[in-house]
Amino acid sequence: MSKKKLATVWLGGCSGCHMSLLDIDERILDVAKLADIVKSPIVDGKEMPEVDIALVEGSITSDEHYREILHIRKKAKTLIAFGDCAVMTNVTGMRNYFPLKEVFDAAYVNAVSNDAEGQVPGHPSLLKLNDKVVPLQEVVNVDFVIPGCPPNADTIFYVLFEFLNDRLPDLGKAKKLKYG
Amino acid sequence: MNTIPIIIDEKKLEVDPGKTILEVCRENEIEILTMCHLKGVLDIGACRLCLVEIEGINKLLSACTTKVAANMIIRTNTDRIKKYQRITTELFFAERNHVCAVCVANGKCELQDLGYKVGLDHIRYPHLFPQCEVDTSHPWYVMDHNRCIMCTRCVRVCNEVEGAHNWDVMNRGHQVRVISDFNSPWGESVTCTSCGKCLHACPTGAIWPKAIVQGQLQKNPGMINELVEKRKMKL
Repeated sequence: MSKKKLATVWLGGCSGCHMSLLDIDERILDVAKLADIVKSPIVDGKEMPEVDIALVEGSITSDEHYREILHIRKKAKTLIAFGDCAVMTNVTGMRNYFPLKEVFDAAYVNAVSNDAEGQVPGHPSLLKLNDKVVPLQEVVNVDFVIPGCPPNADTIFYVLFEFLNDRLPDLGKAKKLKYG
Repeated sequence: MNTIPIIIDEKKLEVDPGKTILEVCRENEIEILTMCHLKGVLDIGACRLCLVEIEGINKLLSACTTKVAANMIIRTNTDRIKKYQRITTELFFAERNHVCAVCVANGKCELQDLGYKVGLDHIRYPHLFPQCEVDTSHPWYVMDHNRCIMCTRCVRVCNEVEGAHNWDVMNRGHQVRVISDFNSPWGESVTCTSCGKCLHACPTGAIWPKAIVQGQLQKNPGMINELVEKRKMKL
Protein backbone atom coordinates (compact mmCIF):
# COMPACT_ATOMS: atom_id res chain seq x y z
CA MET A 1 0.00 0.00 0.00
CA SER A 2 1.48 3.32 -1.03
CA LYS A 3 1.70 6.11 1.49
CA LYS A 4 -1.21 8.52 1.62
CA LYS A 5 -0.90 12.29 1.54
CA LEU A 6 -2.31 14.30 4.41
CA ALA A 7 -2.89 18.05 4.72
CA THR A 8 -4.13 20.12 7.63
CA VAL A 9 -5.37 23.65 7.04
CA TRP A 10 -6.13 26.52 9.40
CA LEU A 11 -8.95 28.84 8.28
CA GLY A 12 -11.16 30.93 10.60
CA GLY A 13 -10.34 29.28 13.90
CA CYS A 14 -8.01 29.71 16.86
CA SER A 15 -5.59 26.85 16.00
CA GLY A 16 -6.79 25.02 19.12
CA CYS A 17 -7.77 22.07 16.92
CA HIS A 18 -4.21 21.90 15.62
CA MET A 19 -2.95 21.99 19.21
CA SER A 20 -5.22 19.05 19.92
CA LEU A 21 -3.85 17.31 16.82
CA LEU A 22 -0.35 17.66 18.29
CA ASP A 23 -1.72 16.08 21.47
CA ILE A 24 -1.87 12.71 19.71
CA ASP A 25 1.78 12.70 20.87
CA GLU A 26 3.81 9.64 19.87
CA ARG A 27 0.92 8.27 17.85
CA ILE A 28 1.97 10.75 15.17
CA LEU A 29 4.57 8.07 14.32
CA ASP A 30 1.73 5.66 13.50
CA VAL A 31 0.26 8.34 11.26
CA ALA A 32 3.67 8.99 9.67
CA LYS A 33 4.01 5.30 8.77
CA LEU A 34 0.84 5.52 6.70
CA ALA A 35 0.93 9.09 5.43
CA ASP A 36 3.14 12.03 4.58
CA ILE A 37 2.00 15.38 6.00
CA VAL A 38 2.49 17.52 2.90
CA LYS A 39 0.84 20.73 4.03
CA SER A 40 0.11 22.07 7.49
CA PRO A 41 0.70 25.17 9.62
CA ILE A 42 3.40 23.08 11.34
CA VAL A 43 5.31 22.01 8.20
CA ASP A 44 6.96 24.07 5.51
CA GLY A 45 4.90 24.06 2.35
CA LYS A 46 3.28 26.67 0.24
CA GLU A 47 0.70 25.71 -2.38
CA MET A 48 -1.64 22.87 -1.40
CA PRO A 49 -0.86 19.80 -3.56
CA GLU A 50 -3.18 16.89 -4.38
CA VAL A 51 -3.91 15.05 -1.13
CA ASP A 52 -5.91 12.05 0.06
CA ILE A 53 -7.11 13.63 3.29
CA ALA A 54 -7.44 17.29 4.26
CA LEU A 55 -8.31 18.27 7.82
CA VAL A 56 -9.73 21.79 7.69
CA GLU A 57 -9.98 23.77 10.92
CA GLY A 58 -12.11 26.91 11.25
CA SER A 59 -15.05 28.44 9.44
CA ILE A 60 -15.26 30.57 6.30
CA THR A 61 -15.02 34.19 7.41
CA SER A 62 -13.49 36.06 4.44
CA ASP A 63 -12.94 36.14 0.69
CA GLU A 64 -9.55 34.51 1.20
CA HIS A 65 -10.99 31.57 3.12
CA TYR A 66 -13.64 31.21 0.43
CA ARG A 67 -11.04 30.90 -2.34
CA GLU A 68 -8.95 28.60 -0.19
CA ILE A 69 -11.72 26.13 0.62
CA LEU A 70 -12.71 25.87 -3.06
CA HIS A 71 -9.07 25.10 -3.85
CA ILE A 72 -8.88 22.51 -1.06
CA ARG A 73 -12.04 20.86 -2.31
CA LYS A 74 -10.48 20.44 -5.75
CA LYS A 75 -7.25 19.00 -4.35
CA ALA A 76 -8.52 16.76 -1.56
CA LYS A 77 -10.11 13.36 -2.04
CA THR A 78 -11.51 13.42 1.49
CA LEU A 79 -12.29 16.75 3.11
CA ILE A 80 -12.80 16.60 6.87
CA ALA A 81 -14.35 19.53 8.77
CA PHE A 82 -12.12 19.67 11.82
CA GLY A 83 -13.58 21.11 15.03
CA ASP A 84 -16.70 23.03 16.04
CA CYS A 85 -15.86 26.17 14.00
CA ALA A 86 -15.59 24.20 10.77
CA VAL A 87 -18.70 22.18 11.58
CA MET A 88 -21.06 24.78 13.09
CA THR A 89 -19.16 28.12 13.25
CA ASN A 90 -18.96 28.06 17.07
CA VAL A 91 -17.18 31.10 18.58
CA THR A 92 -16.15 32.43 15.16
CA GLY A 93 -19.84 32.68 14.29
CA MET A 94 -20.72 34.78 17.32
CA ARG A 95 -20.22 37.93 15.26
CA ASN A 96 -23.10 36.80 13.05
CA TYR A 97 -25.58 38.22 15.56
CA PHE A 98 -24.46 41.75 14.66
CA PRO A 99 -24.04 43.77 11.44
CA LEU A 100 -20.42 43.65 10.22
CA LYS A 101 -19.96 47.41 10.69
CA GLU A 102 -20.85 47.15 14.37
CA VAL A 103 -18.32 44.35 14.75
CA PHE A 104 -15.54 46.40 13.13
CA ASP A 105 -16.42 49.48 15.18
CA ALA A 106 -16.42 47.46 18.39
CA ALA A 107 -12.87 46.30 17.69
CA TYR A 108 -11.21 49.29 16.01
CA VAL A 109 -13.18 52.43 16.89
CA ASN A 110 -15.07 52.07 20.15
CA ALA A 111 -12.79 49.71 22.06
CA VAL A 112 -11.70 51.27 25.36
CA SER A 113 -8.05 50.64 24.54
CA ASN A 114 -8.25 52.70 21.31
CA ASP A 115 -7.16 56.31 21.06
CA ALA A 116 -9.45 58.97 19.57
CA GLU A 117 -8.32 58.31 15.98
CA GLY A 118 -9.22 54.65 15.94
CA GLN A 119 -10.27 53.60 12.45
CA VAL A 120 -11.11 50.40 10.61
CA PRO A 121 -8.07 49.19 8.61
CA GLY A 122 -8.86 49.07 4.90
CA HIS A 123 -5.60 48.34 3.11
CA PRO A 124 -6.23 46.57 -0.23
CA SER A 125 -3.79 43.78 0.64
CA LEU A 126 -5.88 42.76 3.66
CA LEU A 127 -8.48 40.02 3.36
CA LYS A 128 -12.11 41.15 3.28
CA LEU A 129 -14.42 39.79 5.94
CA ASN A 130 -17.70 38.32 4.73
CA ASP A 131 -20.92 39.63 6.24
CA LYS A 132 -21.64 36.27 7.83
CA VAL A 133 -19.41 33.47 9.02
CA VAL A 134 -20.48 30.10 7.59
CA PRO A 135 -19.42 26.53 8.29
CA LEU A 136 -17.51 24.64 5.57
CA GLN A 137 -20.56 22.65 4.52
CA GLU A 138 -22.35 25.80 3.30
CA VAL A 139 -19.62 26.37 0.69
CA VAL A 140 -18.35 22.92 -0.30
CA ASN A 141 -19.27 19.28 0.13
CA VAL A 142 -17.74 17.94 3.31
CA ASP A 143 -16.98 14.22 3.54
CA PHE A 144 -16.64 13.85 7.29
CA VAL A 145 -16.94 16.02 10.40
CA ILE A 146 -15.15 15.97 13.75
CA PRO A 147 -17.03 18.25 16.16
CA GLY A 148 -15.50 19.47 19.43
CA CYS A 149 -13.86 22.62 20.72
CA PRO A 150 -11.29 21.27 20.41
CA PRO A 151 -11.89 17.62 19.44
CA ASN A 152 -10.08 15.23 21.78
CA ALA A 153 -6.71 13.98 20.58
CA ASP A 154 -8.07 10.42 20.85
CA THR A 155 -10.95 11.30 18.56
CA ILE A 156 -8.64 12.92 16.00
CA PHE A 157 -6.32 9.93 15.99
CA TYR A 158 -9.24 7.52 15.72
CA VAL A 159 -10.63 9.34 12.67
CA LEU A 160 -7.24 9.69 10.99
CA PHE A 161 -6.28 6.09 11.64
CA GLU A 162 -9.55 4.76 10.26
CA PHE A 163 -9.30 6.84 7.09
CA LEU A 164 -5.63 5.95 6.61
CA ASN A 165 -6.63 2.28 6.78
CA ASP A 166 -9.46 2.82 4.29
CA ARG A 167 -12.22 2.42 6.86
CA LEU A 168 -15.04 4.85 7.56
CA PRO A 169 -15.09 6.04 11.18
CA ASP A 170 -18.37 6.41 13.08
CA LEU A 171 -18.15 8.93 15.93
CA GLY A 172 -21.63 8.11 17.24
CA LYS A 173 -20.95 4.39 17.53
CA ALA A 174 -17.44 5.01 18.88
CA LYS A 175 -18.99 7.28 21.55
CA LYS A 176 -16.64 10.07 20.58
CA LEU A 177 -19.13 12.85 19.87
CA LYS A 178 -18.39 16.09 21.69
CA TYR A 179 -19.37 19.72 21.23
CA GLY A 180 -17.68 22.47 23.16
CA MET B 1 -56.86 -2.18 40.08
CA ASN B 2 -57.61 -3.61 36.66
CA THR B 3 -54.69 -3.53 34.27
CA ILE B 4 -54.83 -3.29 30.49
CA PRO B 5 -52.66 -5.10 27.95
CA ILE B 6 -50.46 -3.08 25.58
CA ILE B 7 -47.49 -3.87 23.38
CA ILE B 8 -44.45 -1.59 23.24
CA ASP B 9 -41.63 -2.51 20.83
CA GLU B 10 -42.94 -6.11 20.55
CA LYS B 11 -42.92 -6.38 24.36
CA LYS B 12 -46.21 -7.41 25.97
CA LEU B 13 -47.04 -5.40 29.07
CA GLU B 14 -49.88 -5.22 31.59
CA VAL B 15 -50.18 -1.61 32.74
CA ASP B 16 -52.44 0.60 34.84
CA PRO B 17 -54.90 2.65 32.80
CA GLY B 18 -54.62 6.41 33.22
CA LYS B 19 -50.86 6.42 32.81
CA THR B 20 -49.12 8.12 29.90
CA ILE B 21 -47.06 6.16 27.39
CA LEU B 22 -43.97 7.96 28.69
CA GLU B 23 -44.63 6.89 32.29
CA VAL B 24 -45.11 3.28 31.22
CA CYS B 25 -41.92 3.34 29.14
CA ARG B 26 -39.85 4.83 31.97
CA GLU B 27 -41.19 2.19 34.41
CA ASN B 28 -40.25 -0.59 31.98
CA GLU B 29 -36.84 0.81 31.05
CA ILE B 30 -37.79 1.58 27.47
CA GLU B 31 -35.80 4.63 26.46
CA ILE B 32 -37.75 7.69 25.33
CA LEU B 33 -35.88 10.91 24.61
CA THR B 34 -37.37 14.04 26.21
CA MET B 35 -36.45 17.67 26.75
CA CYS B 36 -39.62 19.44 27.90
CA HIS B 37 -40.68 16.66 30.29
CA LEU B 38 -39.82 17.37 33.91
CA LYS B 39 -41.09 15.08 36.63
CA GLY B 40 -43.20 17.13 39.03
CA VAL B 41 -44.78 19.53 36.52
CA LEU B 42 -47.48 19.05 33.88
CA ASP B 43 -46.51 17.62 30.48
CA ILE B 44 -47.28 19.74 27.43
CA GLY B 45 -45.69 17.88 24.51
CA ALA B 46 -43.65 20.88 23.40
CA CYS B 47 -40.31 19.41 22.37
CA ARG B 48 -41.63 16.65 20.08
CA LEU B 49 -38.80 14.32 20.98
CA CYS B 50 -40.96 11.69 22.65
CA LEU B 51 -43.01 11.02 19.50
CA VAL B 52 -44.07 7.37 19.15
CA GLU B 53 -45.80 5.34 16.47
CA ILE B 54 -49.14 3.84 17.42
CA GLU B 55 -50.64 1.24 15.13
CA GLY B 56 -53.82 2.50 13.46
CA ILE B 57 -52.95 6.19 13.89
CA ASN B 58 -51.24 7.97 11.00
CA LYS B 59 -49.79 10.80 13.07
CA LEU B 60 -46.91 10.38 15.47
CA LEU B 61 -48.13 11.18 18.98
CA SER B 62 -46.14 12.52 21.93
CA ALA B 63 -45.66 9.85 24.58
CA CYS B 64 -45.78 12.37 27.43
CA THR B 65 -49.31 13.58 26.66
CA THR B 66 -50.88 10.39 25.29
CA LYS B 67 -52.49 8.00 27.76
CA VAL B 68 -52.26 4.25 27.26
CA ALA B 69 -55.38 2.46 26.01
CA ALA B 70 -56.17 -1.25 25.91
CA ASN B 71 -54.45 -3.21 23.12
CA MET B 72 -52.38 -0.27 21.92
CA ILE B 73 -49.44 -1.35 19.79
CA ILE B 74 -46.67 1.23 20.26
CA ARG B 75 -43.26 1.53 18.63
CA THR B 76 -40.60 3.82 20.02
CA ASN B 77 -37.48 3.13 17.98
CA THR B 78 -38.36 2.87 14.30
CA ASP B 79 -36.26 4.53 11.60
CA ARG B 80 -39.01 7.11 11.11
CA ILE B 81 -38.90 8.15 14.76
CA LYS B 82 -35.09 8.23 14.80
CA LYS B 83 -35.17 10.47 11.72
CA TYR B 84 -37.49 12.96 13.40
CA GLN B 85 -35.51 12.92 16.64
CA ARG B 86 -32.39 13.89 14.70
CA ILE B 87 -34.23 16.66 12.82
CA THR B 88 -35.74 18.05 16.02
CA THR B 89 -32.34 18.12 17.71
CA GLU B 90 -30.73 19.85 14.74
CA LEU B 91 -33.46 22.49 14.75
CA PHE B 92 -32.83 23.19 18.44
CA PHE B 93 -29.22 23.97 17.56
CA ALA B 94 -30.03 25.95 14.41
CA GLU B 95 -32.74 28.13 15.97
CA ARG B 96 -30.71 29.91 18.67
CA ASN B 97 -27.03 30.44 19.37
CA HIS B 98 -25.73 27.33 21.11
CA VAL B 99 -22.02 27.97 21.44
CA CYS B 100 -21.07 25.07 23.70
CA ALA B 101 -17.43 26.15 23.96
CA VAL B 102 -18.31 29.31 25.90
CA CYS B 103 -21.48 28.10 27.64
CA VAL B 104 -21.78 27.77 31.41
CA ALA B 105 -23.58 24.46 30.94
CA ASN B 106 -20.87 22.88 28.76
CA GLY B 107 -20.55 19.22 29.76
CA LYS B 108 -23.64 19.31 31.97
CA CYS B 109 -26.22 20.15 29.34
CA GLU B 110 -29.23 18.06 28.45
CA LEU B 111 -29.14 19.40 24.88
CA GLN B 112 -25.54 18.23 24.42
CA ASP B 113 -26.44 14.82 25.85
CA LEU B 114 -29.39 14.64 23.49
CA GLY B 115 -27.12 15.41 20.53
CA TYR B 116 -24.78 12.58 21.52
CA LYS B 117 -27.72 10.19 21.90
CA VAL B 118 -29.16 10.88 18.45
CA GLY B 119 -25.68 10.80 16.90
CA LEU B 120 -25.72 14.44 15.82
CA ASP B 121 -22.32 15.40 14.40
CA HIS B 122 -23.33 18.41 12.30
CA ILE B 123 -26.40 20.52 11.56
CA ARG B 124 -27.89 20.25 8.09
CA TYR B 125 -29.94 23.44 8.36
CA PRO B 126 -28.64 27.00 8.11
CA HIS B 127 -28.28 28.62 11.52
CA LEU B 128 -30.63 31.55 12.15
CA PHE B 129 -28.10 33.46 14.30
CA PRO B 130 -30.80 35.58 15.99
CA GLN B 131 -29.75 38.56 18.08
CA CYS B 132 -30.79 37.40 21.55
CA GLU B 133 -30.80 39.26 24.83
CA VAL B 134 -28.88 38.24 27.90
CA ASP B 135 -30.84 39.54 30.88
CA THR B 136 -28.45 40.15 33.78
CA SER B 137 -30.73 42.51 35.69
CA HIS B 138 -31.51 40.00 38.45
CA PRO B 139 -29.06 40.35 41.36
CA TRP B 140 -28.17 36.62 41.43
CA TYR B 141 -29.32 34.98 38.21
CA VAL B 142 -28.91 35.36 34.44
CA MET B 143 -31.42 34.59 31.68
CA ASP B 144 -29.56 33.96 28.41
CA HIS B 145 -32.03 33.69 25.53
CA ASN B 146 -29.25 32.48 23.22
CA ARG B 147 -29.36 29.08 24.90
CA CYS B 148 -33.13 28.75 25.40
CA ILE B 149 -34.88 25.90 23.57
CA MET B 150 -38.41 26.89 24.65
CA CYS B 151 -39.09 23.73 26.64
CA THR B 152 -40.89 26.04 29.12
CA ARG B 153 -39.85 23.94 32.10
CA CYS B 154 -39.01 27.21 33.91
CA VAL B 155 -42.44 28.63 33.11
CA ARG B 156 -44.22 25.57 34.47
CA VAL B 157 -42.10 25.14 37.56
CA CYS B 158 -42.52 28.83 38.45
CA ASN B 159 -46.27 28.63 37.99
CA GLU B 160 -47.08 25.17 39.34
CA VAL B 161 -44.51 24.58 42.06
CA GLU B 162 -43.45 28.01 43.29
CA GLY B 163 -46.83 29.59 42.45
CA ALA B 164 -45.21 32.86 41.44
CA HIS B 165 -45.80 32.80 37.66
CA ASN B 166 -42.97 35.20 36.95
CA TRP B 167 -42.18 33.45 33.67
CA ASP B 168 -44.43 33.25 30.65
CA VAL B 169 -44.15 33.08 26.87
CA MET B 170 -44.64 35.74 24.19
CA ASN B 171 -44.73 35.71 20.36
CA ARG B 172 -44.94 32.69 18.10
CA GLY B 173 -42.70 30.71 15.76
CA HIS B 174 -38.99 31.41 15.91
CA GLN B 175 -39.65 34.77 17.58
CA VAL B 176 -41.09 33.10 20.65
CA ARG B 177 -39.40 34.18 23.90
CA VAL B 178 -39.69 33.39 27.58
CA ILE B 179 -40.53 36.63 29.39
CA SER B 180 -40.45 37.85 32.96
CA ASP B 181 -43.75 39.46 34.04
CA PHE B 182 -45.03 41.51 31.06
CA ASN B 183 -41.68 41.44 29.23
CA SER B 184 -39.75 43.56 31.67
CA PRO B 185 -36.21 43.00 32.98
CA TRP B 186 -36.05 40.04 35.38
CA GLY B 187 -34.50 42.23 38.08
CA GLU B 188 -37.58 44.45 38.10
CA SER B 189 -40.01 41.57 38.50
CA VAL B 190 -42.70 42.02 41.14
CA THR B 191 -43.65 38.32 41.07
CA CYS B 192 -40.25 36.58 41.15
CA THR B 193 -39.42 35.23 44.61
CA SER B 194 -35.79 34.51 43.60
CA CYS B 195 -36.35 30.89 44.68
CA GLY B 196 -34.08 29.54 41.93
CA LYS B 197 -36.27 26.60 40.90
CA CYS B 198 -36.20 27.73 37.26
CA LEU B 199 -32.40 27.39 37.32
CA HIS B 200 -32.66 23.75 38.25
CA ALA B 201 -35.51 23.09 35.84
CA CYS B 202 -33.63 24.56 32.85
CA PRO B 203 -32.04 21.79 30.76
CA THR B 204 -29.46 24.02 29.06
CA GLY B 205 -27.39 27.06 29.95
CA ALA B 206 -30.29 29.51 29.54
CA ILE B 207 -30.84 30.24 33.25
CA TRP B 208 -27.90 30.13 35.63
CA PRO B 209 -26.50 31.74 38.78
CA LYS B 210 -24.01 34.59 38.36
CA ALA B 211 -21.61 33.01 40.81
CA ILE B 212 -20.34 30.39 38.33
CA VAL B 213 -18.05 30.35 35.31
CA GLN B 214 -17.90 28.41 32.02
CA GLY B 215 -18.59 24.71 32.39
CA GLN B 216 -19.07 24.90 36.17
CA LEU B 217 -22.86 24.78 36.26
CA GLN B 218 -24.47 22.34 38.70
CA LYS B 219 -28.15 21.60 38.23
CA ASN B 220 -30.51 19.35 40.08
CA PRO B 221 -33.75 19.01 38.11
CA GLY B 222 -34.75 15.99 40.22
CA MET B 223 -35.19 18.38 43.14
CA ILE B 224 -38.42 19.70 41.60
CA ASN B 225 -40.23 16.38 41.90
CA GLU B 226 -38.81 15.80 45.38
CA LEU B 227 -40.37 19.09 46.46
CA VAL B 228 -43.70 18.20 44.89
CA GLU B 229 -43.73 14.81 46.64
CA LYS B 230 -42.71 16.24 50.01
CA ARG B 231 -45.51 18.77 49.89
CA LYS B 232 -48.03 15.96 49.53
CA MET B 233 -46.92 14.44 52.86
CA LYS B 234 -49.12 15.00 55.87
CA LEU B 235 -47.04 15.69 58.96
